[in-house]
Amino acid sequence: MLELDAVSYRYPGYARQVLADVSLAIGSGEIVGLVGRNESGKSTLCLVASGLAPVSVGGVLAGEVRIDGTATAGLRPFELASRVGLVFQNPNTQRSGVTATVFEEVALGPVNLGLPVAETVERTHWALRTLRIEALADRDPARLSGGQAQLVAIASILAMRPPHLVLDEPTAQLDPEGTRLVGEALQALAGTGAALLVAEHKTDLLDRLCSRVVALDGGRVAMDGPAAIVLADPALEQLGVERPARHRIAGEVAAAGLVLPGAIA
Amino acid sequence: MAPPSGNPTTLSEADRAYLASLAPQAASPYHALNPLTKAAIATIATLAAFVLGGYVAPLAILTVLVIPGAVAAGVLTRLTRVAVLISVPISISVALVSVFTRAGATVLFTVGPFDATAEGVDFAGQIIVRLFVTAMALGLFGLTTEPRAFVVDLERRGLSPRVAFAAAATLETIPLMVERALAIQAAQRARGLDTEGSLAARIGGVMPLVGPVILSSLTEVEERSLALEVRAFGRPGRRDQLWTLADDGRQRLLRWALLVGFILVLVGRVAGALPALP
Amino acid sequence: MIHCEGLVHVYPGGTRALDGVDLEIRAGERVAIIGQNGSGKSTLILHWNGLLRPTAGQVVIDGRAAEGQRVAHLARTVGIAFQDPDRQIFAGRLRTEVAFGARNVGLRGAALQRAVDETLDVVGLRGEADANPYDLGYSRRKLLALASILAMGTPVVVLDEPTTGQDAAGVARIQAIVRSLTEVGRTVVTVSHDMRFVAETFERVVVMGAGRVLLDGSPAEAFGEPAWPSLAATNLEAPLAAQLGVRWGLGPTPTEAGLVAALAGAPRARPADRAGTFGSSDPR
Repeated sequence: MLELDAVSYRYPGYARQVLADVSLAIGSGEIVGLVGRNESGKSTLCLVASGLAPVSVGGVLAGEVRIDGTATAGLRPFELASRVGLVFQNPNTQRSGVTATVFEEVALGPVNLGLPVAETVERTHWALRTLRIEALADRDPARLSGGQAQLVAIASILAMRPPHLVLDEPTAQLDPEGTRLVGEALQALAGTGAALLVAEHKTDLLDRLCSRVVALDGGRVAMDGPAAIVLADPALEQLGVERPARHRIAGEVAAAGLVLPGAIA
Repeated sequence: MAPPSGNPTTLSEADRAYLASLAPQAASPYHALNPLTKAAIATIATLAAFVLGGYVAPLAILTVLVIPGAVAAGVLTRLTRVAVLISVPISISVALVSVFTRAGATVLFTVGPFDATAEGVDFAGQIIVRLFVTAMALGLFGLTTEPRAFVVDLERRGLSPRVAFAAAATLETIPLMVERALAIQAAQRARGLDTEGSLAARIGGVMPLVGPVILSSLTEVEERSLALEVRAFGRPGRRDQLWTLADDGRQRLLRWALLVGFILVLVGRVAGALPALP
Repeated sequence: MIHCEGLVHVYPGGTRALDGVDLEIRAGERVAIIGQNGSGKSTLILHWNGLLRPTAGQVVIDGRAAEGQRVAHLARTVGIAFQDPDRQIFAGRLRTEVAFGARNVGLRGAALQRAVDETLDVVGLRGEADANPYDLGYSRRKLLALASILAMGTPVVVLDEPTTGQDAAGVARIQAIVRSLTEVGRTVVTVSHDMRFVAETFERVVVMGAGRVLLDGSPAEAFGEPAWPSLAATNLEAPLAAQLGVRWGLGPTPTEAGLVAALAGAPRARPADRAGTFGSSDPR
């Protein structure tokens, strides 16, 4: 369970509230989608929900963020790391820079957690297999394409098997196949009881994945409800968010005064 | 698809072999020595050359401690070239300064107000020999040891993971920055920056990139440190490394012998029991 | 405008990224290149300004062989906006960044000033002209990188994954930019994973897989039912509108507007813009 309770946040050195009065609860096994136009606060919410802001980033937080009932405020960064995983937007800056192979890069988190080698190896194999990137195991992590680097970044967090996971645009650099694989991996993780928060522009992916969708506007929660309802709502477009293709098409057909000849999805 | 649930305690043979293959591959028996052994050889050779002084002792140390290793590693030619490249510029400045400023009875020749003395020449010669031995000793370590291997080994011996990581990250940052500079340079060529012409054009083309590469690397450092936090890098305590480097009793004995030998030499020199060699 | 013949590229290490590509892109065309990661799309476009050189085969740009021409010279014809803006941006201010390429191709004084202002306007960053690029978020840095290519006024503009990280407004903006470029006769080529962006914005689609051209045709052809096996070969799928058109027996309908029009029995309309267009301001 990941909870944000009336959270407001501003970055160190800035007066502007980037998040204002955000309340949100993500239950075990639930995948919540986070949408909104660029700079509406999605990335900041990801940092706050994972506890990294303000614990590592600094800044001023009002309200409370709780992970499984424990307030993040008193935790140290490595304690947070074993409670909630965070995948950043830019795969290049997530690379440790100290490993020679993708296998070691993905294994770095489990090694840091102090796991026995046998377990680290099993988790690393599993994470690589889940994202179908076993073939990259021996490659130099600094010499990957954008899409490959993004899959490696996700695998690096999956291997730590965090009880909960926050992802900031995890599929931005990925082709449709990679996007599908990430979707499947997230579903599998939710199946193990993790609470997942996924910020994404690709609402078609959220449509397949999420039980609930939250839309941000100017750092505030503008919409929050079951995915099927929020993603179908034309009001989403006013928030700078495309509805999934099936809802958009249904809407356009209805607006033209026509009837759908059959099911869409 | 489901995450592994058990807590495996044993590694399969295949996994064991795979992890071993991740360790830096040794190109020769000397490369295969434990990094600490190689570091000990380099350090003791350098210190002993300085403590003993003269010409004979440093050259003897070079012959006994450095050259056999370089031959075994198959890098003698490369090492000599590197050592000469490093020590020549320093040697020239040392020679210029000491030959003319060292007071002495035997004036060899005079340039303007400066007398070149035999004592100055001798002093410069001794410094240059020591510098060369140092360059050879440290160069041998550098040519036969991967930075990450040294760091992983030190961490296994109890160095704080944080310190180990900082050391490894620093050593690996330079190639990353070079690569980034090349990528940005390629992008600027794609925007019409001509770097293929004369030397002046090439230098002129690279100069505007120096600042931004450093700046963007600094911006990246902040993001990178956050990304490391989420991978539990700051957790105190031991880590089980994926691979370790071999060490054995003979190497430990060698390291102790080097250390004890050095201390004896040092004490002997200080106490005056050891005569100065020419 | 761009002519590739038997183009092969093998990277050091043996990866055969291009395995014999023949492709002719004519002046004023809007062409999208699609294919899964690693199919050779990015490798292909880097041959057009000489950042990569063929292992075999040849590239002809605007009637002249690329071989022997410097990158800086080819860059006057082909401007490439890279996928990762951070591998391109280097200046301390947006204005300086955009001016850099324009100055290299010979713009000076008032003409340079105008090119910079207009392109910053086009990407919606005019108000930030004096800001530091690193104070912008990723999506706006990406628009900045695009602006700095547009300002060069090259006859050919190549956009590598331009919609990555963009919200709906950002995609609409890029779409409008692409259209306005071809309205003034410039050639636009994109590499993209965004099938809807491709279907709605481009008039020709090249499907690549394993370093070869698998298919080359209009969006109706590339996303029509006969093309599906080729798309599947490179792990792609036609946009939903195209799939529904086939399912509902309406023929090829690669765009949503086309689908609705076909459904209404009306002649298929020109793809609707997702947002308004901007004036056809040629930065030159």
